[in-house]
Amino acid sequence: MPPRASHAVDASTGALPGAAAEPVRAAVTFALAIYLFGLALCVIGNTSSGASLLVRTIKGKIFTPVLAPPWLDLGFDYPFTYGLPEDADHVLEVAPFGDPAARLRFPADMAGERARRWRRLARAITETGGDPDRTARVAADVAAAMFEAFGPDVRLRVLRRARADVGGVDPGRLDEAFAARVREIDGDVQLIRDEPAGAVAPIVVPRRDPADGAESRP
Amino acid sequence: MSGPAAPAPAPDDGGVGAAWMRFWFEPTDPRPLALVRILVGLLGLALLWSWQADLGRWCGPEGLVTPASAAAWVSRGDGAWLAVVDAALGPRGVWAIAVASFAALVVGAGGTVVAVTAACSLALLLHRAPMLAGPADDCVVILTWCTAVAPATRALSLDRVLAGRGRVASAAIAPPVPSWRARVATGLLQVHASVIALAAAIAQLKGDVWWDGTAAWWLAARAESRVVDLTSAYAGSTYLMNLATHAIPAFEAAFAVGLWASAVRPAIARLGLVAWPAVGVLVGEPFWGLAMAVFAVPFTGLAWGAAASPSHAVTRREGAA
Repeated sequence: MPPRASHAVDASTGALPGAAAEPVRAAVTFALAIYLFGLALCVIGNTSSGASLLVRTIKGKIFTPVLAPPWLDLGFDYPFTYGLPEDADHVLEVAPFGDPAARLRFPADMAGERARRWRRLARAITETGGDPDRTARVAADVAAAMFEAFGPDVRLRVLRRARADVGGVDPGRLDEAFAARVREIDGDVQLIRDEPAGAVAPIVVPRRDPADGAESRP
Repeated sequence: MSGPAAPAPAPDDGGVGAAWMRFWFEPTDPRPLALVRILVGLLGLALLWSWQADLGRWCGPEGLVTPASAAAWVSRGDGAWLAVVDAALGPRGVWAIAVASFAALVVGAGGTVVAVTAACSLALLLHRAPMLAGPADDCVVILTWCTAVAPATRALSLDRVLAGRGRVASAAIAPPVPSWRARVATGLLQVHASVIALAAAIAQLKGDVWWDGTAAWWLAARAESRVVDLTSAYAGSTYLMNLATHAIPAFEAAFAVGLWASAVRPAIARLGLVAWPAVGVLVGEPFWGLAMAVFAVPFTGLAWGAAASPSHAVTRREGAA
C-alpha cells in the first residue's frame, strides 16, 4: 500500500478530505466486484489452464463483449519459452514465385520492439494451436499485400532460426516452418500450402505377380 | 466526485466490509500515481515508436494485416465500432492521437480525458493488428486505464501548474489533497500487478524447461531477440543457468504474494524496480519488464513529504467554489 495520507476528519463536515460520497462508493463497489469477477474469468479462460467450458462460455458471453474492446480481455499467459522449436526466433520471407533470389525478409536488420512485432507476425502464421483458418487467412493476406511489388504469384515462407543445444554452439541455420504459394486468379487469392514430406510421399502400388496372380511388394 | 458530506470510511472497524472500504476508498496521496502517469506516458511513446516505420505496411489500405484477419485473430464483439473508427481516422490517425495522448500524459495535461483517450487509442491500434501485440502492450494498456481512474494530473503536472497560476507560490506547489480515486487506482494496480505476475509464473511452471533449469538457456539461445548474449556464461556454469531459470518464476510468485503482505510490500516493490527490468532483459521482453516495474512504483513506500492537511483541503474547496 502506498504511503497513507493524513486521515484527519474535516471538523466542519465530518468527512475525510477527498472521500467519496456514499452513493459513489456503492456504485464503484458494484463496478469493481463485477470487473474483478470478469478479470478472474479472463485469466482462467484465456490461458491453456484447462478451464471448463462453462467458464469459457460465461466469460465469452458476458465479459468478452465488454472487456475486449478496451483490450482488457487478457490472460497474461507469458511463459516466454517452453524450449520448443516454435519458441525460436521467426523470420518472414516473401519472394516472387520461381525467383527466390528476389526475396524480402523481415525483420532483417531491424532491432528492438519493431523487430519483435515482425517476429510475432511471422510466428502467427505458424501457430498450430488455434484455428487453422485464421492462420491461413493471415498468411494469405500477408502474401497478397506483396502482389503489388512481386506480381500476383508469390512464395511465402516462415523460417525458424535453429538454436544451439544446451551448452552448444549456434548452428546458424534457418529451418522452414511454413511455406506456401499464394497467387491471385480471377480476383481470388489462392493459398497452396507445401505439404509435409510425409503427406506427399508417393503411394506404393503393390505389384501383381504374373505367376499366381497374387500381389507382392516390390 | 469527492463528497464533502460523505462520512469517513471507518478505518478501525473490523470485518470484510470495512476492509473492502479501507482498501478501495480510503483517500490517499495521488503523487505516486503522478509518477506512474509519467512513466506510463514514456513507455507508451516508446511502444508507439515501434509502430511508426511500418504502420502503413502493416495496417495501411494494402497492408499485410487486413481488418478481416485482425477480426479473426481476437474476439472483440461485433467489431462494428472498429470499422467505424478505421474508416474515420485510419490507422495513422489513431496512431497520431495515441502519440499525442501519451505525450500529454508525460507532461500531465488534459486530466482524465487524455488518459482515457490514450488507453482507447492504444487499444484501437492493437485491435487493428492484434497478432503484433506483445506482453508490454497488454501491461501498458492496463497501466493506462489505471491512470485514467486516478486523479493523476493533480501532481507533477502541467495541469497543476496552470491551476496554480495567480495563487501564491506555496499554494501552487502544495501537496495535493488525498483522493479516493487515487486509492481505487492504486488498488487496481495492486490487483493487476499481482495477477499478471502470478499468471506469468504459472504459465512458466507448466513447462519442463522451467523445472529442469534450462529455460534461461533457451531464452538466451534466441540469437536475434535476446537483449544480451549470456550463452557463454550459461555454458560455463550450469549453476548460473539454473539460478537464472528458477529465479524468474520465484521472483514473480514472490512479487504476486508479497504485494499483499504489508510487512514486506515496500521491500518487494523496491526489489521489483530493479528485478522486473532484469527479468525483462532475460526473457527478451525489456519493455514488459519496465512496465511491470512501473506497477511496483506506488508500493515502494518512498517518502513523498507531508500530505495535504485538512485545512489545506478546505482552502482548496473554497477556492474551487
